[in-house]
Amino acid sequence: MKARNFKIFVTFLSVFSVCGWFAASETLAADTIRLGFVADVSGIGASFYKSQKAAIDLFIEETNAAGGILGKKLELVVRDAQLKPDIGANMARELILSEKCDFLIGPTSSAVALAITKVAQEFKKIVYFHTSNTEALTTTDFQPFMFQVVPNTGIEARGCALFLSQKPYQTYGYIGLDYAYGHTQWESFKAELNKLKPGVKILDPVWVKVNETNFSPYVPTLMAGKPDIIFSSLWGGSLSSFIKQATPYGLFKGSSLTSLFDLDMLRTTGKDMPEGLLGYARCPFYAVDTPQMKEFTKKYYEKYKEWPADWAIMAYDGLIVLAEAMKKVNSADSEAVVKILGGLQFKSLRGDRYIRAEDHMANVGIYVGTTAKNDNYKDFLILKDVVEVPAEKVWLSVEEVKKLQSEKK
Amino acid sequence: MTPQYVVFMFVNGLSQGMLLFIIASGLSLVFGVLRVINFAHGSLYMIGAFVAFSLSTFFSGGSFLNFLLLLLLVPPVVAILGFFLETTLFRRVYHQEHLLQLLLTYALVLILDDLVRVVWGGDPRNVARPDVLAGSVDLFGLALPTYNVFILLVGPAIAIGLWVLLYRTRAGNVIRAAVTYPDTLGALGVNVSWVMTSTFMLGCWLAGLGGVLMAALANIDLGIGMEKIIESFAVVVIGGLGSIGGALLGSLIIGLGITFLQLPLGRWALVFPYLMMALVLIVRPWGFFGKPER
Amino acid sequence: MVIALFFLPFVLAQFGRTGEYWIWVTTEMIIMGLFAMSLNLILGFGGMVSFGHAAFFGVGAYTVALLMKKAGAPLYLALLAAPIVAAVAAAVVGWFCVRLIGLYFAILTLAFSQLLYMIVYQWYTFTGGDDGIHGIPRPEFLGPINYYLLCLILFLLCFMLMRMIVNSSFGLTIRTIRENMERAKFIGINVRRYQWLNFIIAGAFAGLAGGLLTELNRFAQTEFLHWSKSAEPILASLVGGMYSFVGPAIGSAFLMFLKIVVQQSHKGLVELWAIILGLVLLLVVLFAPGGLVGMYQQLFKRGDS
Repeated sequence: MKARNFKIFVTFLSVFSVCGWFAASETLAADTIRLGFVADVSGIGASFYKSQKAAIDLFIEETNAAGGILGKKLELVVRDAQLKPDIGANMARELILSEKCDFLIGPTSSAVALAITKVAQEFKKIVYFHTSNTEALTTTDFQPFMFQVVPNTGIEARGCALFLSQKPYQTYGYIGLDYAYGHTQWESFKAELNKLKPGVKILDPVWVKVNETNFSPYVPTLMAGKPDIIFSSLWGGSLSSFIKQATPYGLFKGSSLTSLFDLDMLRTTGKDMPEGLLGYARCPFYAVDTPQMKEFTKKYYEKYKEWPADWAIMAYDGLIVLAEAMKKVNSADSEAVVKILGGLQFKSLRGDRYIRAEDHMANVGIYVGTTAKNDNYKDFLILKDVVEVPAEKVWLSVEEVKKLQSEKK
Repeated sequence: MTPQYVVFMFVNGLSQGMLLFIIASGLSLVFGVLRVINFAHGSLYMIGAFVAFSLSTFFSGGSFLNFLLLLLLVPPVVAILGFFLETTLFRRVYHQEHLLQLLLTYALVLILDDLVRVVWGGDPRNVARPDVLAGSVDLFGLALPTYNVFILLVGPAIAIGLWVLLYRTRAGNVIRAAVTYPDTLGALGVNVSWVMTSTFMLGCWLAGLGGVLMAALANIDLGIGMEKIIESFAVVVIGGLGSIGGALLGSLIIGLGITFLQLPLGRWALVFPYLMMALVLIVRPWGFFGKPER
Repeated sequence: MVIALFFLPFVLAQFGRTGEYWIWVTTEMIIMGLFAMSLNLILGFGGMVSFGHAAFFGVGAYTVALLMKKAGAPLYLALLAAPIVAAVAAAVVGWFCVRLIGLYFAILTLAFSQLLYMIVYQWYTFTGGDDGIHGIPRPEFLGPINYYLLCLILFLLCFMLMRMIVNSSFGLTIRTIRENMERAKFIGINVRRYQWLNFIIAGAFAGLAGGLLTELNRFAQTEFLHWSKSAEPILASLVGGMYSFVGPAIGSAFLMFLKIVVQQSHKGLVELWAIILGLVLLLVVLFAPGGLVGMYQQLFKRGDS
């Protein structure tokens, strides 16, 4: 039996390998620039994927119509990381080695992002992150073949702490999703708040499991401490669920809420969103007053008949950076592009921005505002009186960044 | 921690348990009669929720009548789906070993969950609560959402309904016989395959009902199927496979446990269902009300 | 035939970057094949369905990750420790689980594995939670080809070990228990002890596989312990053939290969992989429960004895 078993196994393995090589080596045109998108297509990342892909498709379409970059057309290849880091890393490898992608577009999940950034470093291909925003990507797990156009967890949390500390709140509550994103936000927020306004009362955090849809067990616990304001690391569907369910409990009569109020969340919550909540967004199209944003929004709405979510805008911004960088060095080779990434200035949809040299973090801040109805948007609320907390105020200083970078490596 | 507060949390936790009960009882019943742990039960629940959403888009306004319509129409739809699944797929594997049956249901999970994504997309959805249930009820000065109270009433109603069905009707007697005397059932002149199919449909009906209720309680997205199936497992294990009373007990334990354990344990409270599951399996594998299967 | 496998990576290396990717893929196939075969010791041969096998895979993975990253241990030591630690975990979990049979056994393994998963997930300070542990060092001389060879050698070693175990009197006893547990008890076999030992052995091999995967990926992550990871070797064993020895490895390789080919052939199919996998599974369960090896044997049985 042994010989036969072996024969079977080896036959299969060799057949696979050879076939696989044939299957994979379709002639790939050398005159395209291939972008590999390691996306979180299935599962709870699906709605984000939709927005991200829409914006990326739009960018590729318009760029190709205008002749491409450096005379080459852009091409998109997508793979599904399923929010799982080992699959994501595998896909990233496939995209680089087998699909010959020149650049990678990052995922939604921060856990996947951490895995992919290593792959990008190994093969020296630049990846950019537009949604996954753990601060680790630019600090402890930093490597040069990446850049980030989304405000990281540190900027978000410290930005909120900064903003909230300027209000008269005394008791702070917290509810967050129980994973790395939530933890880092909470730590950063707590530290910054204690620094800015020592002596305020910070209640014990309430942790909720990641896929939670049912918040009824948690609302009473949150209310028990009678917080003036609740900072939350909930987002997307879970935040929307939470708000809808917490409202009948009267939570928002006594406390205000600060959380990530991105467009998809605002849309999902719809009319159930209470007015007067203090939220922040990463990229609210309705509040950023640049000509590029207006033009983009118009184009996006015409094509997709819906408004661009924060993720869409940032994914698009990342491509702007890539295009700019490629034009500057006249090459689509990551190793050439990476040399000028640090300090690169670009015209983001949010305005003029640049990429910081030490950690390849774009100086993008958060936008804080109050929820309010608006006649232009019938089915959902938006933020009004939006104020930008610029990155420079709350991102880690160069010294702090360098210290973290030298640590974990 | 005032006594009012404790009562409040208690009532809150109960309503959680009730929703879980509705779903888990279906799973328990299906196992009792068909001897199959249907992984896809969670997916069917999810389908019920999404179908409720789609149907609700045809209605406008928050009338209770519309909501009632959802409660009446959606579960049968899921039951019909169950009918097709049982007759075309499940039937073929009854005589096979347990593992193959489990894998069949797992394959269904993969297919159904992804079909939901294809049909409804990845965005979270929800059904608006009817106006009369949208507010809150005053309980010792603390506000409890009326909808939670509603679920708190529906749960026992279903429990009573199931009890009546199982203990006071002929069909129910047959089902109970199928649970206790699977081998000799055919000898009694009963159409065994029809019993299997209709029980399965009942299980799906319950899953669908749970889906509708959830759609108005919270947002529904692609992950709710997976999430509920694990909790349902815990309930069914604790209560005993095939026992409705056990499912009720199990649901209450899990529901109340998660609510109350939060204060002392915080995030570690989420370990509770698994811990209970493991404990019960070690100490008394057939659950509180199950029958030892040796 | 085995020689062919040894030469494979060199052949692939000729094909440039694409080849490099496939070297990586085949290395992973070997590792996951080992994982699937380890499960089959209890599944196909022992007749015990375990939904929690990923727990030991994950324990092995994190052992390697923690030893190498936090304690700076060398690779060979970590790879030695992985199966040992996994075996200990399997001993603890198994002791409880083998008291049950059939479905209850399966559910308890699931419960334990999820418990372990949650502990690793929550114990943020020690395990990094769902960020995982990244940046695990790889010794210089272990480039892609050499690592492939290392995995291949270890795989073959384990293969021979497993074969020895299955064909020994121990293995015979296990199979007897699977066939008819009552009868085995009658003959005076301590069923529980044998099943427990089998469980531990299977766990140890799984731990080694986990450690190898960690080193390949150079990171360990909580998903390695999730029950969906436990499902992979089950599916692989089913598709490949539960009752054959090498079936699970073939099934594992086949599924991985299928996924890559499907995704590369047509853009739209990337999003439908779950449905495709589900359909494949459905077809196998309904029409070919013996898996690929089963089909192969049926086809070629005509000519053989």
